[in-house]
Amino acid sequence: MTVIKSVTCPICGCLCDDIEVTVENNEVVKMKNGCAVCEGKFLGYKGEHRTKKPLIRKDGKLVPVTMKEAVHAAAEVLANANYPILYGWSSTSSEAQRVGVELAEEIGGVLDNTAVVCHGPSILGVQEVGIPTATLGQIRHRADLIIYWGCDPWSAHPRHLERYTNFTEGRFEKSEWTSYMTKLKAHAGNRKLASAMRIEDSKAKPKPQACYVGGSPPELSKGGRKLIVVDVRKSMTAEMADFFIQVEPNKDYEVLQALRALVKDKELDVDSVGGVPVEYLQDLADALVNCEFGVIFFGMGLTQTAGKFRNIEVAIQLVRDLNSKTKFMIMPMRGHYNVTGANVVSSWQSGYPYGVDFSLGYPRYNPGETTCMDVLLRDELDASLVIAADPGANFPKNAVQNMVKHPLIVIDPHMNATAMLGDIVFPAAFVGIEVDGTAYRMDSVPIPLHKVVDPPAGVLSDEEILKKILEEVKIIKAKNAKVA
Amino acid sequence: MTEIIIKNGFVFDPINKINGEKMDICIKNGKIVESVNEHKAKKIDATGLTVMPGGVDIHTHIAGGEVNTGRMVRPEDHIKDAVSKTALTRSGSGYSIPSTFVTGYRYSKMGYTTVMNPSMAPLEAKHTHEELNDIPLLDKASYPLIGDWWFVLEYLQKGDLESCARHVAWMMDTTKGYAIKIVNPGGLESWGFGKNVHTIDDQVPNFCITPREIMVGLAKVNTMLNLPHSIHLHTNNLGLPGNYLTTLDTMRALENVPNNGKPVAHITHLQFSSFGGDGWGSMKSAAPEISKYINNHNHMTFDMGQVIFTDTTTMTADGPFEYTLYQLSGHKWVNSDVETETSGGIIPFHYKKNNAVNTIQWSIALELALMIEDPWKIMMTTDHPNGGPFFAYPKIIAWLISNKARMATLKLCSKKGQKKSLLPTLNRELSLYELAIVTRAAQAKALGLKNKGHLGVGADADVAIYNVNPETTDIANKYKGVRRAFRSAAYTIKDGKIVVKDGEVVENVSGRTMWLDVHTTEKVKVDDDMRNRFKQYWTVEFDNYPVYDHYLKVPQAIAVKASI
Amino acid sequence: MITLTPLKQFKYPVYAECITPDVFQGKDIAEIANLPVNEGNQVKNLSDLFKIEEDNAATPTITINGDASEVRRIGIGMKNGEIIINGNVGMHLGEKMVGGKITVNGNAGQWVGGGMKNGLIEIHGDAGDYLGSHYRGVSEGMKHGVIVVDGNVGSDSGCYLRGGVIKIKGNAGPFLGYHMSDGTINVEKNAGPRLGANMIGGKIVVGGLAEDMMPTFTIDTSKPKVKIDDTQSAQGPFYVFLGDLAEDGKGKLFISKANNPKLKFYEKYL
Repeated sequence: MTVIKSVTCPICGCLCDDIEVTVENNEVVKMKNGCAVCEGKFLGYKGEHRTKKPLIRKDGKLVPVTMKEAVHAAAEVLANANYPILYGWSSTSSEAQRVGVELAEEIGGVLDNTAVVCHGPSILGVQEVGIPTATLGQIRHRADLIIYWGCDPWSAHPRHLERYTNFTEGRFEKSEWTSYMTKLKAHAGNRKLASAMRIEDSKAKPKPQACYVGGSPPELSKGGRKLIVVDVRKSMTAEMADFFIQVEPNKDYEVLQALRALVKDKELDVDSVGGVPVEYLQDLADALVNCEFGVIFFGMGLTQTAGKFRNIEVAIQLVRDLNSKTKFMIMPMRGHYNVTGANVVSSWQSGYPYGVDFSLGYPRYNPGETTCMDVLLRDELDASLVIAADPGANFPKNAVQNMVKHPLIVIDPHMNATAMLGDIVFPAAFVGIEVDGTAYRMDSVPIPLHKVVDPPAGVLSDEEILKKILEEVKIIKAKNAKVA
Repeated sequence: MTEIIIKNGFVFDPINKINGEKMDICIKNGKIVESVNEHKAKKIDATGLTVMPGGVDIHTHIAGGEVNTGRMVRPEDHIKDAVSKTALTRSGSGYSIPSTFVTGYRYSKMGYTTVMNPSMAPLEAKHTHEELNDIPLLDKASYPLIGDWWFVLEYLQKGDLESCARHVAWMMDTTKGYAIKIVNPGGLESWGFGKNVHTIDDQVPNFCITPREIMVGLAKVNTMLNLPHSIHLHTNNLGLPGNYLTTLDTMRALENVPNNGKPVAHITHLQFSSFGGDGWGSMKSAAPEISKYINNHNHMTFDMGQVIFTDTTTMTADGPFEYTLYQLSGHKWVNSDVETETSGGIIPFHYKKNNAVNTIQWSIALELALMIEDPWKIMMTTDHPNGGPFFAYPKIIAWLISNKARMATLKLCSKKGQKKSLLPTLNRELSLYELAIVTRAAQAKALGLKNKGHLGVGADADVAIYNVNPETTDIANKYKGVRRAFRSAAYTIKDGKIVVKDGEVVENVSGRTMWLDVHTTEKVKVDDDMRNRFKQYWTVEFDNYPVYDHYLKVPQAIAVKASI
Repeated sequence: MITLTPLKQFKYPVYAECITPDVFQGKDIAEIANLPVNEGNQVKNLSDLFKIEEDNAATPTITINGDASEVRRIGIGMKNGEIIINGNVGMHLGEKMVGGKITVNGNAGQWVGGGMKNGLIEIHGDAGDYLGSHYRGVSEGMKHGVIVVDGNVGSDSGCYLRGGVIKIKGNAGPFLGYHMSDGTINVEKNAGPRLGANMIGGKIVVGGLAEDMMPTFTIDTSKPKVKIDDTQSAQGPFYVFLGDLAEDGKGKLFISKANNPKLKFYEKYL
């Protein structure tokens, strides 16, 4: 039995690297420090449905083949494709991503990562106006005002508050853990009371409120770290917040722009914005201006609702304006553990973070034109390679239909929806459990991933599989060139 | 391994005091040797050509978090400079922040073989090294940013130089770094709460220490550790009118630090620290004051930080300075503070000829290069990409060797700027020998790279051959031809392999990544205390912080014996 | 005059920067046939993808008959002459155009007239997003010239507009005139939400319904009519709004009174 410390969790953009894993007979048997999602992955990675041999679709059925056969088949498809897409890349190591860029370049394909359906708009926003940001430790040590906008870390990034924001002890700011515990208990009590009263009077359903403000402005002037949540619904994180603002769906842009005007001491003609009375916004604006060090974390509630990258642009502009009055930062809550790495690697090799089209022999970038979702919806592709992502499960139906019309190569540890639809399927080792590598945290800090157990015999890493395909593609292309 | 003989070239090798002598250079096993078997060796006929050691850049931002964020935020910079894949080379893009492969190719095409990446946040060091691995054809090294590192601030504040030194040694190993980089000392920690320091004697909030104490302390640490390079310093108040006074204070503050006769500090991109006047309207050159001091003192080296008239991207760990630039330009602004260590910022910037301040900046760097008498003290850089992209070096070469070239540019500049330029009063024109000093020899010497920057027996076989005939060419008059020659080398030889011929890449090699393996008698103890402190200061675990050996594709450890 | 007819329905994107009168001019038909174009990741000759016919008239005009909706970058940077497209056309039509005229008898894709410097583009159908706008990361859109669209346009049209006139006879999507600093946009029907957001200068005229007003615009006055350009003015009456306050902007929105009764409450400030 071995206990391995400082293991990095390959789940979300938090990349918690303090996990303790106990391994016995090449199996993870015990975990410490991880959240529930982390434990689920480390203890459940073995999975009963796991395939250990490459598969090729023959007569409509996926049948096991040798690695050599699968590599050759995949390389044949890619080397001869006119407009292939290479999509995914977020749940694998930068080492694999590096090979991916070279493969995309070699076959003249469109390289895209899952940012296109999550924080791609954040990048577009940043390209318009820049971004004042910092590493998470800077926020831990200094931030006295933390805003979560359109995201619910309590559910999606479970240890974010504990490791980086309100519940962590910094050099200049203390943890607010105890006061939140008290508050949570009070909330729980209130809920019980409310539910009891609902049973009493089931007819009196609470009317949905356009704007709910929990807490009152005095809480915004309390000492210590403050937590503000802005969302369209009262999320788990909002329950804990000192101040919660409920915005009508798809009205974040207006609210943010109004805040910008208020921060600049302008008067508005309207009484409410996005369902929020202007006086609440004024309170919020005052809180923003009066903090020592503030930060906005934003999620898909901002990036994927009406306005998309303009929402991010305006949020950044607000933060930028605030820096003339105080210190203020902003950061996207990146989802997959190495989606940031996919952007980072793609940028250093090609100059562009996602949606890179190599079809003309050099990298080109124009989301809407060179992004794989758009290529799929316009059905311009003739082959695809999907790695470390599951578009088959979460892309729009039209996109998936167009994807499966053409040869589909899948590299993934799971037999996921995309793999089920695939024509050539490579089972891969779990990066961060069975292979090591590097991943980039949501604040772009690189953190090593660790191998804690061996992969099943014959199962290779993403990097190894990609290298084999790349090598074979080069051989086929050289042959083709000779024939020509 | 192939042997090569470069025959009959005019050799400029200032470290060995060779000034344009016609001679042969022999190469074997990647090194310069006395002689080779002339029948077996590959011959390069260098008759009528200039032969120099491979170029060395002491300060160029080419890799790492900051640079890459620059790439990410500027698609408009890349779209105008797309680079196609070839059978031998990878595709990529420029312009002011080229992708990694393109960076390697472009440097090599100009005859450069060694470049130093001067700004690496320790926490993000792995990223820097991952990128350096993807920069081909060059030897590389990085300077970790530690001037505002809490450990340094705390030890220096306590006056515990030895502990500070041991932790700095640990940091060189941990980040695989090469030199102590200090940026706006004290200012970066202050910037954590949006503040800055304005003189070298201002107190850093929360730390009871001054910039002077940081600089002097780390210079002493540098001496204690016997590091090959001196501290590498970006001064306080950089880029602000009137800052030359701060620069003079800084240089004076370091006068009495002992360093066994070697320079105690290198002030980088000196142009940005040599502004006179007291506002942007009255901003003028302080090159006379700065160069006068430098001509009378020998304890420091410098590089130019030349401005090029083009659209570029400024990026520095000096977060507060970038914020000032943002307020001036109103364009996109990136700020990237790093916990416990440093800060950073990025602003796209277009240096324009019709802008008086930009013209004066352009002029200051050249004035410094010409007014500082000893070329070993002032090296050629643009502080890429801050003053302009590195591939504009041939333009600077033309300005340095030719008054005519300088005047041709000056007359296109802003009238107000022209009036304030001191260039019309300076007639000095650098010779090819001096050019070899300011583009390679002085760098290698200041960096303590014993096998670089010269062509003596035992040196690395890094050679650049340019199509300039010093016997028949009046270089000051025919500066355009020289500019062309330095833009695309006739040959670049890296570790004894011909990698560039006639300005085109002909072979791909990975360069090395150099780092300092500093031996102190007592090492930093990695005990629970250190681990706890680590947990309190950073958000990553102690074991996940270091750059492990496998992060360096071709590592070259340089052993250093410290005197503590 | 050269007539191009697509030889097939294109599946892969076709990049045909060479289709401009400036490139064709002075070339005989064989030379034109050999001009390189990209189809997917393959380099082809123009004649591999189009039937090329020459008319005796020496006018510098190119006509495309058929569906060119996958053909991109037609008329990029064109300086003079005329392009007529009888059918739909793909992205980046007339991007960075300097002069001349482009007519589309069909629909056009995104980025029509992006960064346009001068000239005239007429679309007798719909146009996609980013009409007369900018490339990612650049803060300069169309500078001069005229774009007329008979149908509807997508989102972010006229963003970062620096000058010129955009006339839209149908509806406009969200973020019309985003961050524009000069120039005029006229929408005869309805405009989507975030109208004129981050506007710094210039004017937008909405003859139909303004779906949603940004809270950061303030009412200034009302006007009976407004001038669009030398040949046209729009009949009101209009509410006139100033903004965007968040950018200290001096942009003007002219919104039809008749079609926007819900804006009546602003009148109390007049």
